[in-house]
Amino acid sequence: MIDTLLQTLLNGAASGGVYALVALGYTLVFSVLGVINFALGALFSLGGYLTYLLMGGAISANGGLPGWGLPFGLPFPLALLLAAALTGLASLGVERLAFTPLRRRNAEPLLYLITSLGAGLVLVNLLQMLMGAEGYAFPATALAGLPDAVVLGGARIRSVQVLLLAVCAAAVIALTLWLERSRSGRALKAVAEDATTARLLGINSDAMLRLAFLLSGALAGLGGGLIGVSISLPGPYVGIGYGLKGLAVLVLGGLGSVPGAIAGGLLMGLAEALVPGEASGWRDALAFAILFAVLLLRPTGLLGRRLVEKV
Amino acid sequence: MIDNGLLVQMLIGALLGVSVYLPLAAGQLSLATPAFYAVGGTLAALLSTTWPALGAGADGSFPLASFLLELLLGGLLAGVLALLVGRLVLRLQGIYLAIATIALVEIVRVAILNLPFTGGAIGIFGIPQPFPTAAGYLLPALGLLALAGWVCQRLEVMPLGRAMAAIRNDELAARCMGIDTTRVKLTAFVLSAVLAGSTGALAAHFLNTWNARQGSFDTAVTMLAFVILGGSRSWLGPVLGGLLLTALPELLRPVGDVRLVLFGLVILLGPSVFPQGLINPGLLERLGRLGERAEREPQP
Repeated sequence: MIDTLLQTLLNGAASGGVYALVALGYTLVFSVLGVINFALGALFSLGGYLTYLLMGGAISANGGLPGWGLPFGLPFPLALLLAAALTGLASLGVERLAFTPLRRRNAEPLLYLITSLGAGLVLVNLLQMLMGAEGYAFPATALAGLPDAVVLGGARIRSVQVLLLAVCAAAVIALTLWLERSRSGRALKAVAEDATTARLLGINSDAMLRLAFLLSGALAGLGGGLIGVSISLPGPYVGIGYGLKGLAVLVLGGLGSVPGAIAGGLLMGLAEALVPGEASGWRDALAFAILFAVLLLRPTGLLGRRLVEKV
Repeated sequence: MIDNGLLVQMLIGALLGVSVYLPLAAGQLSLATPAFYAVGGTLAALLSTTWPALGAGADGSFPLASFLLELLLGGLLAGVLALLVGRLVLRLQGIYLAIATIALVEIVRVAILNLPFTGGAIGIFGIPQPFPTAAGYLLPALGLLALAGWVCQRLEVMPLGRAMAAIRNDELAARCMGIDTTRVKLTAFVLSAVLAGSTGALAAHFLNTWNARQGSFDTAVTMLAFVILGGSRSWLGPVLGGLLLTALPELLRPVGDVRLVLFGLVILLGPSVFPQGLINPGLLERLGRLGERAEREPQP
């Protein structure tokens, strides 16, 4: 009984870690720009597909390119990192196309919602066009060298889940340390706090914004690669669901709060893992039911700052 | 290239655009329209396929009176739901409201997918037809749009519509002037839901099948794009946006797989090109001046 509970909790924590990555991706951009980048879910998909491709996975693109793949295959850790970096670059492209033109004219925030969603739509449909609508499973050799499962306190846990949790934890810790300790991380926080003052202090706020987009995309791409290897890539829309869950986590933890995004992600993953198997169809609604309840009881999220409207 | 079926779809797009526009006219970014659309459609699909008293024929025919009754019931159910949910969610501001309404859409979608009587992933099919061809749906869809347009036009001069505009400009100032902002926002939200519910009932019959995919996050985005690209300062904007953007993917069908990428590009780049939408205050002012001049000139 205790074993199964431990197993359930660890599974929950693993998917919670991925939710936290996505929520952090939103948080980085939100804290600097005050808007939500709705293209993040599509970037998540992109990360998954890039990881698959870089590992030498074959695609068929609805039969248009049967068995086509890169002539080389990288080992999983390298492919994952490279895919995350490339997704970060794609995120810069999203910034350029969907955010910069509007920022130049001081457009109302509502428009960012539309353009970023448009960018996501373009990305997902490009994936669908180039890679096809079919699902892809990572080759079984992806994690060669790792045992199938590890036994922890009497519970058998798939080692890919442990890997997932470890990578997420490492990414989150690295991001937090960077934000707190490094010069550029603190500059980013300063821009988030007050862009005008930061500019007066000689911080290049535009560069910080691009950095936020780069990191945000990389986090989403990392999440996509991890989900791809641990479950599979059911299709280009895989990231949209995670993007929405990440949004729920973001609000649950409080918009713009880094610890909130992490705690919210873990909480959401655990809550979902505790849904009994018979009711698994309802699992997808749980995140949004929790979100709904939290918004009504505490509109600023669990760890969010209270926004005071100045008149 | 544009046949009657596509025309009906375009009109449905225009109706949903107006439904998203209504709360926005009161400054509230609500993406709940797909949820109410799904509720109305599911109700119509369930009633017409399971309730013999409505008179669905064995040959798939359906009495016109029952169809109109369903439009009414679909709107009513969505309106009641909006009244209940609106009281809770309209306390939220800005992006929080948008996210809460996205949550509502997802909850309704998962509920329709999992409830024992809504047909699961396949949905409900063989919904009886009040009209023998797609052309028959043109009249009720146009009628509904005319009704919605009339309400929006009336709102421009009614105290309610004025209050909505005041809230949109500055909610705090509106409250200070003694406007019951909660009631005004709730009324706009319910009006939007009633329109979406009736549209759903119409769409369920028109499409012949109905499933959980009809009201999802993607559709919420597309509907918002109708309003933003069409123009959010007048109800004519979402109508134009709904008509054009519903037709676009169909008209692009000849170019094949690229069409959805192109559609995405339109949504991505449109707001930068037309930040105020196609039908914007400048255009309306010019049209208004033309109208005034025509009135002032003596009639021959």
